[in-house]
Amino acid sequence: MHALLELRDIVKSFGGHRAVDHVSLALAPGEKTVIIGPSGSGKSTLLRAINFLETIDSGTILFDGREVGYRTVKGKLVLDKPKHICKLRTQIGMVFQHFHLFPHMTVLGNAMEGPVTVLGAPMDEARKVALSMLEKVGMADFAARYPASLSGGQKQRVAIARALAMQPRLMLFDEPTSALDPELVGEVFATIKQLADEGMTMIIVTHNMGFAREIADRVVFMENGSLLAQGAPDEFFGEHCRDPRIQSFIDRIF
Amino acid sequence: MARSAALTALLVFCLCVPAWAAPSGGQAEADALLRRAADIMVTGDLKGAVAVYLQVPAPGPEGDEGQFASSRMQAARLEFAAGDYPAALNVVDELLAVYPDNIEAVRFRASVTDAMLPQWRRLLRDTVKFVPHLLKGSVMTLMLVFFTILVSPLGGLVIALGRISNFRPLSRACWFVIWLFRGTPLLLQLFFIYYGLPAIGITLRPVPAALIGLGLNYSAYLAEIIRSGILSIDRGQMEAAEAMGMTYWQAMRRVIIPQTYRVILPPVGNEFIALIKDTALVSTIAMVELMRTADQLFNASFNVTVLGLAAVIYLAFTTVFTFAFEWLEARVGAYEQR
Repeated sequence: MHALLELRDIVKSFGGHRAVDHVSLALAPGEKTVIIGPSGSGKSTLLRAINFLETIDSGTILFDGREVGYRTVKGKLVLDKPKHICKLRTQIGMVFQHFHLFPHMTVLGNAMEGPVTVLGAPMDEARKVALSMLEKVGMADFAARYPASLSGGQKQRVAIARALAMQPRLMLFDEPTSALDPELVGEVFATIKQLADEGMTMIIVTHNMGFAREIADRVVFMENGSLLAQGAPDEFFGEHCRDPRIQSFIDRIF
Repeated sequence: MARSAALTALLVFCLCVPAWAAPSGGQAEADALLRRAADIMVTGDLKGAVAVYLQVPAPGPEGDEGQFASSRMQAARLEFAAGDYPAALNVVDELLAVYPDNIEAVRFRASVTDAMLPQWRRLLRDTVKFVPHLLKGSVMTLMLVFFTILVSPLGGLVIALGRISNFRPLSRACWFVIWLFRGTPLLLQLFFIYYGLPAIGITLRPVPAALIGLGLNYSAYLAEIIRSGILSIDRGQMEAAEAMGMTYWQAMRRVIIPQTYRVILPPVGNEFIALIKDTALVSTIAMVELMRTADQLFNASFNVTVLGLAAVIYLAFTTVFTFAFEWLEARVGAYEQR
């Protein structure tokens, strides 16, 4: 079985600063990868590069075994036509640290927006899909509410439902609980865990080691834009961790 | 017999001479009275002058109207100037009793009775007289306002989107349009369009010229307001929209622009209220709207009430807008309420 997503030698710089430095990563269908690492290590940039919110300087992105997203013009990578980029993005759901719900739409409206506007689904069909996804994250009772009236945890669960309504094949979570009050973290994690148990392929950037350990098939450690180590959670969080840098980072977190 | 004849002759003489001499003698006397009255008036003794004027006798049926009329009119004017309106009326009525058709007296009487009306009656009458004309002028004002409100948000949106475009020539061009129309007086723009364009072969009638001027000017202003509204929306909104597969235009239409409404509504309301007043400027390019109508009525009547009424009508329009925008603001931003 080939990888659902494969990153080869990804490089991304901001000005002179190299945010992502020759990173390669492959993700089998159904695999849950958690990326950890200190702030500014390039985790979020890497994640955002996967759905083209950041354009990479060099490297290759393969989705479903096909090279996607870029053409080479005069030796430089150029982002593909918007039409193709949009098509790819419909298959990749993204959940942001700060939710980014659409405040002028109801909870239901948020969840319906993708199917209706992007996929062109009929209203009643989109409503059905949206409601079932809201049901899944436990927010169906709030369908008529506006985001401003929700707690952070509720907002994030709606954001997850909004991404799921597009029926993506890959979910990206960018620090999904970092903006939440501690008592609200649990409900969001439970939702993500449930999704993981259903077999969704996902990449999660998080600072929460407990969650990483619980959900990950593989943990990836990044520092200064480089992918320093990857392995099963037990290798990372076990008593005898190989790499002293990872050990010291984990010690600092706990 | 001879003595009685002589007495009769004397009597006839006495009776006849004055009768014969009266016209010339009376005219001379009246002239003297008029001169004396004028002399007294110069000293400032107006009451005294009036008394002398009133001594000018009424001429007989065949007599001359001139001296009598001018004496009574002078006296009436002096009484009027002194503020004694009833006295002025009495004097004028004296003249009208002899010469009911004296047009000067008829007009003067009308203005005296007018001045005797209570303030509110006069105001009411002026209002009834002027308001229909002003409202007729207002139709044009409202037409200009509604057209500009219809067109300028669209023009503003196009210019704003062009301005934030990554395509340099477009963004520069939009910058230039804003720079040009924000940087020169609207009055000058109207003049240029109406009087200037014919020089290069484009002759516009006043209404299209006014609509083009107002439309462009307000598009330029609204473009900056709309642009500020778009820039005020969190970047994450665009990212979230794009991440779910929307194109730039879908994201703009469905996500970004609807969120700008609550941000831009107050300044847009401000602009539209300014617009109501700015339409007065088109009166300078041969258009008859509310301001021009008021100006014409005022110049014909020198009645300040016209200007007050025009102000009230402008205020009524701006008040409607003020409340309409307050109502809109409350509705459009409602989703932010908990």
